[in-house]
Amino acid sequence: MEKQENKEGIKGWLNPGRYGIERFAYWLMRLTGIGLLVYFIAHIYETSAILDGKAAWDKMLELTQTTEGHIILAIVIGMCVFHTANGIRLMLGHGGIGVGKPGRPDYPYAPRSINMKNKMCIYVSIGLAALAMLYGLGVMFGE
Amino acid sequence: MNKMRESIVMKVHYGTALGAVALVAVHILFRLTQGFSESLQYESVIANYEFLPYALVLELILVLISVHGFNGLRVILLELKQGRGYEKAVTYGCIAAMVAVIAYGSRTIIMTSLGMA
Repeated sequence: MEKQENKEGIKGWLNPGRYGIERFAYWLMRLTGIGLLVYFIAHIYETSAILDGKAAWDKMLELTQTTEGHIILAIVIGMCVFHTANGIRLMLGHGGIGVGKPGRPDYPYAPRSINMKNKMCIYVSIGLAALAMLYGLGVMFGE
Repeated sequence: MNKMRESIVMKVHYGTALGAVALVAVHILFRLTQGFSESLQYESVIANYEFLPYALVLELILVLISVHGFNGLRVILLELKQGRGYEKAVTYGCIAAMVAVIAYGSRTIIMTSLGMA
């Protein structure tokens, strides 16, 4: 019974507010990963229009080179930059870099691995993603 | 069949990520060197595909991102639910989807770079 109550499934996975910025980064990493995979498959499909000749390619460009298309692309840029920067943080962390030395757990039992360095990296990743989105929007709408 | 150790799979995951970051940067730079809109014109895209080193970069990006993306999806799905049958279905489903995407993308790259577009 108790086991069943603890099972939140996808709802628990999607709850970003309960465990701070680390949990938010965990959630955002997966969300951006899925978003980028969906974009990648769509990109493979849209570029295959080149095989049907110039008319088909121009028709596809008419669909994607719109204000909505540019906004979607800017979101993709943001997702890509966050996923990359946070991914590098995770890779370093898995290699034992930046997670601190193990020590005796003392009250209030703050985990040493989730330190200020890691938190700062998450905030920097979000900041870089926002800057890249702005740059992308500048390039796409600036022409 | 021997199962690949998860630690090896994660090394492949990280390796493909680093490779993809470097090559996607080249892919984006190609779009920016000419101006974004002009670089997407039909003639310009065909010229890009017919330039063999760039076609190879595109093929590598396709393989690296497919491997990384579908392994990432597999990891997410295995975090949500576990079980022998489920894990097998997720793993083989992701491999099948990865092969299908690589095959479809390669068809575009090979046919266009050979002038069949």
